[in-house]
Amino acid sequence: MKTKILMLPLAILLSVILIMTPFVAGCSQEEDGGTLKIGSMTPATGPVADKGLAGRHGLEDAIKYINTELGGVRGHPIELVYRDSGYDASKVVTIVKEFMDEGCLMFTTHSSTEMSYAMGIANDAGFPGMATYASPIIYRPPRHIYGQAPDYGDDWTAFATYYMKNIWKGYGKPKMALLLLNNPTGKGAKDGATAMADKLGIELLTPEEHASTTISEMEALTRVKAKNPDVIFISSTPAPTAVILRNIRDLQMSNITIGLGHASLTKALVDLAGADVAEGTYGVVSTAAWTDNVPGLAKAKDYCQQYNPQDSGNTDYLSTWTTALIAAQILQHAVDNVGYDKLAKGDAEAWSAIEQNGIQKLSGYDVQGLQGPVRYTVGDNRLDKLLRVCKVTNGQIMPITDWTEAPLIKYEEFSWFGAK
Amino acid sequence: MDLPAGTRNFSYAEDMAIFRTKTQWVLLFVFLAVLFTAPLYLANYWLSVANLIGITIIAITGLNLLTGYCGQLSIGHAGFIAVGAYTSAILNSRFGVPFPLALISSGLVAGVVGMIFGIPSLRVKGFYLAISTIAAQLIIIWVINHWTEMTGGFDGMNVPYMSLGNLTFRSEGSQFYVIMVIAIVTLFLAKNIARTRVGRAFIAVRDNDLAAEVMGINLFRYKLLAFFFGCFFAGIAGSLLAHWMRFINSESFTFSSSVLFIGMIIIGGLGTTLGPILGAIFIRLLDVGVTRLSPALDKALPGLPSGFTAGISPLVFGLVIILFLIFEPRGLAHRWTLFKSAYRLWPFSY
Repeated sequence: MKTKILMLPLAILLSVILIMTPFVAGCSQEEDGGTLKIGSMTPATGPVADKGLAGRHGLEDAIKYINTELGGVRGHPIELVYRDSGYDASKVVTIVKEFMDEGCLMFTTHSSTEMSYAMGIANDAGFPGMATYASPIIYRPPRHIYGQAPDYGDDWTAFATYYMKNIWKGYGKPKMALLLLNNPTGKGAKDGATAMADKLGIELLTPEEHASTTISEMEALTRVKAKNPDVIFISSTPAPTAVILRNIRDLQMSNITIGLGHASLTKALVDLAGADVAEGTYGVVSTAAWTDNVPGLAKAKDYCQQYNPQDSGNTDYLSTWTTALIAAQILQHAVDNVGYDKLAKGDAEAWSAIEQNGIQKLSGYDVQGLQGPVRYTVGDNRLDKLLRVCKVTNGQIMPITDWTEAPLIKYEEFSWFGAK
Repeated sequence: MDLPAGTRNFSYAEDMAIFRTKTQWVLLFVFLAVLFTAPLYLANYWLSVANLIGITIIAITGLNLLTGYCGQLSIGHAGFIAVGAYTSAILNSRFGVPFPLALISSGLVAGVVGMIFGIPSLRVKGFYLAISTIAAQLIIIWVINHWTEMTGGFDGMNVPYMSLGNLTFRSEGSQFYVIMVIAIVTLFLAKNIARTRVGRAFIAVRDNDLAAEVMGINLFRYKLLAFFFGCFFAGIAGSLLAHWMRFINSESFTFSSSVLFIGMIIIGGLGTTLGPILGAIFIRLLDVGVTRLSPALDKALPGLPSGFTAGISPLVFGLVIILFLIFEPRGLAHRWTLFKSAYRLWPFSY
């Protein structure tokens, strides 16, 4: 009995030591001088870990590349304060506050859902943030949150425009079914469709929503099939999209054109759904394909091969690699314009400097060809406006159009838009 | 050296007192002093963690009354928290109802909704009741997603700061005081509910509902009452969560949260007042720890295989919970009781 009494406090003590280790490790890192801190979160565990883990790897590898090969930003290494959000709302709230306390100059989120939880706090504090994947709700009207690339509303517009010009050969308005993830990823596409469908001459069917954990969408697709749609647009993440594509095949709806938003169209989707099921699917992307011949890909491929070979071909890896490059460019502008000392404080003044002298000074940085050039335009917090349409061909995501600019949609002018 | 040798009571009031010795009062005042000066020495991040712990304590204190005391297993608690969160958000932001009134209303609405979903508890129990509470969560989330004009649907809702008259609680520190005061009041109420006739009836129902009925306890009434109390506190926690997070949508209230709440009260100690406090603190801090563990390990041991550290965090989280259940199935509250006994009887064995 005495042994048990001794063993249990010992077990508790060991647990406490285990838990405290990272805190102690964190304290020692704070003593480093001359670094520029950025906070980043991705959902590396939880329901969208298939995206978030590759996203984490892309970020970390890019920071490694910037610090070791580019010498940091004007000689100052970037210190990445990374946290796994687990796709958990309350955790996102505490993580953003941690980033602010830690003296991070800006923060990035991988998913638009993470940013939707973080944006209220960040906007109130004037803490600049950039979302790798964006939905109109996070920056319409524009405040302190920016989108690295066009948003899910732009995805819909780009695909619908391509469809009307190149695929639709019938008379009258084609009927489009929307299959949407029940969060900003899906809602962003719905916002785009609601705003632009009439203008493009498309009839929208009642949208069907699904959860990120869905294992079957047969019921929703049966309803969709009964309405005889000409085209289906899916704005979701790879795992549920794979389920939907398999269900579409099972329901023998393969004669219908399928378009995907850029959060769906990744290597993970092709792996999960199977190349045969994904074959012929259209989609929209905002980053370069792994097969492209652009200068930035060589380094990304090298680092991916060296540190995270399993992510080779993964769009999320490349998206967040690009996030880190853009963040470095923002920091470089800020260091050039206001000097390191002002940024070193990591306070509200530094955040304001980052936004006004970093983000808003972006004027055509080409991101080594990994996505469209980033530039800030007053009233438009999308830093990149270019998208292109791809098609899954022989298991590869192949671009079929050039980069085209997504028009600015002022959603806030529509009465139906936004969180009330 | 003076050692404690028992406490003699001279009146019924003394016998019923929660804090019975001078040492306990001193410890209480020291604890409260440390707690309420925390905003002076804790950074915003740690205050936000403390606020989340406070809200969790309120939520699972309700769950503990329902499951720990009355034995009605609920795996839909996050759904009832969502009811409270949306009630408060809607009343406060759409109808201009003051926050304190919205807070109480959120508890009442969640309590009533809980009672409705608690009706099957008269016919079913155990796993069957658990399934019906899961259904409650699914139905609540479905309603939130589709009652768009009121809840914002998938867009979610922006929620104003907590306020009292003209005083708005914007800072993490000021919110800390609101949340902690409400958490203390909640714990006081829960402790006293457990000590009254109602609490004893709950325990009787939990231990053997047939025997309880034979003794004259109205099962239907007390089971519904347990659902009301449990969900009332969930509603209060939901209201605080909404005004603390400032943005809510249905994804803020997941099924996995409901399961985690069950884990918290088991680890803390089912059917004890201290259990929810210890369970919430332990699980939330463990979560903070494992979130930091992965990047710290990556920096300390760069040679680890890719993805290893991302996977190790949930692994450690699960492992610690499993070890606790194996070594201390009666929860941390029981361990605390043993510690107190050992202290009181030292140097003799307990």
